[in-house]
Amino acid sequence: MILLDRVTKQYGKDASALERISLHVEPEEFVIIIGSSGAGKSTLLKLLTREEKQTSGKIVIGNIDYDKLRDKDIPLLRRRIGVVFQDFKLLPNKNVFENVAFALEIVGHSNKEIKHTVPRVLKVVGLDGKEKRMPPELSGGECQRVAIARAIVRQPKILIADEPTGNLDPKHAWDIIKILEKINRYGTTVLLTTHNQEIVNKLKRRVVTISDGKIISDKAHGEYS
Amino acid sequence: MQKDRSIKRQLITFNRLFITGVTNLFRNAWLSVAAMAVMFVALGILLFSVVLNITTGNAITELSRSLKVSIYLEDTVADADRFVLQEALAASEYTADIEYVSKDDAQARFTESFQNDQELIEGLQLVGDDSLPASYEVSATSLDDFNEIEEIALRSDFDGTVESITLGRTDARRTIERAASAQQFITTSSVFAVLVFTIISVLIIFNTIRIAIFTRSEEIKNMKLIGATPWYIRGPFLVEASIYGVIAGVLATITVYAIVVSVGSGLASQAEFQETYELLTAPLSVVIAGVVTVLAGIVVGIFSSSLAISKYLRLKHW
Repeated sequence: MILLDRVTKQYGKDASALERISLHVEPEEFVIIIGSSGAGKSTLLKLLTREEKQTSGKIVIGNIDYDKLRDKDIPLLRRRIGVVFQDFKLLPNKNVFENVAFALEIVGHSNKEIKHTVPRVLKVVGLDGKEKRMPPELSGGECQRVAIARAIVRQPKILIADEPTGNLDPKHAWDIIKILEKINRYGTTVLLTTHNQEIVNKLKRRVVTISDGKIISDKAHGEYS
Repeated sequence: MQKDRSIKRQLITFNRLFITGVTNLFRNAWLSVAAMAVMFVALGILLFSVVLNITTGNAITELSRSLKVSIYLEDTVADADRFVLQEALAASEYTADIEYVSKDDAQARFTESFQNDQELIEGLQLVGDDSLPASYEVSATSLDDFNEIEEIALRSDFDGTVESITLGRTDARRTIERAASAQQFITTSSVFAVLVFTIISVLIIFNTIRIAIFTRSEEIKNMKLIGATPWYIRGPFLVEASIYGVIAGVLATITVYAIVVSVGSGLASQAEFQETYELLTAPLSVVIAGVVTVLAGIVVGIFSSSLAISKYLRLKHW
């Protein structure tokens, strides 16, 4: 469960990125957040990953109240949330397997566990057989699959995808969306931000529209307006 | 069970941090070599100055032991008066040891010392066998205390007892005083050199780690976002800097001991150096010197990298 209650984020005195946003997302939901550039979509996701701290309001994910979150708890929070970025953010000196394994290494999984888990996740995202490839040898779509594999390898309850199709052509973009749907079917809550009208209209999922830092619509089976 | 798993994970994580630290060291190979070279010089000077201080200190002690104040007595002095002087000397805190040398003993010593110089011995027989005076030979507790002993013997109540005083062999005393000033100079200059090179080491390691942080800034940012703890990010930098200290410390120990063995084996036949050489080359001394030098290297490495980490890694802002 994700709960945002009258959340405001201000940069300086007059620059409000988000203004009294309230949002409630149930477990296993697939929510698409749309809005023009600068509307506040990415700020909203950054608040959820605690890259940014809200100026006011309340944020709760599962049983974690962000107001009570100490600095030392932030890594633990991020381990519970999988994040996929538009620019992939892969480690350039590590191959596909190592990039995904890295998310398990930092939490102390043994090499045996890693060798068991990573190939399975790579299979879910359709990258089996490409374990040894380095990021520069991969297409944009493949890089994004690696990023998704890394985000889900720890089996998070929530997956945040910040414009994951922004750098991809329509075919690869749709492949990525299908993977996100598959992950959602396995029981993971997915929050997706996108500009892609076709994807929003085809998915027929809950659509939250943000404009000028405010939620202007929230429809159960929304379309790009 | 849960605790065992947690410990196992911590060990696995520590192992990974160590491997990452070693990998990073090779990534910045040239910077690492520069950092280790300067640290090697600093630790080498530190260890070498300790060796020099021990050597000169022991040599001075050894030489001082053989240096004595000779208080020559009047030929006519009665035993009772002589005992008063002896008691006064014995009561002094500056006196380490007193030996009475009778006229006969002085004669015997002289004959033994100059047994190959027949002319000198014949000359002594001409002036009479009892021409050498009786004396007290007094050892002082330290080199600076000879004057205090002289002052006791020069007191007016011993005017009829004491004939003359010699403050040890003058040349030996001068040598000891020179050695003591050399030791003082070595100590002062080596402290200064160690300080200068340690500061240079700190600056170079600081910059090496700073550059490594800048080079890996994107990677560090990604690590934060996927849930790496501050220690997981900080650890490899500390490991890297500690390895600088270990390698520099080991090389400095090997180099200094190579010098000690090559130079010291020649000097070991001289009485004033033999004990020191044996002490310095005893297996336990070598181990202690190596461990302390390596630990000093690790401390300098961790200190410098911690400065760079706290200034540039910004782990407080997640």
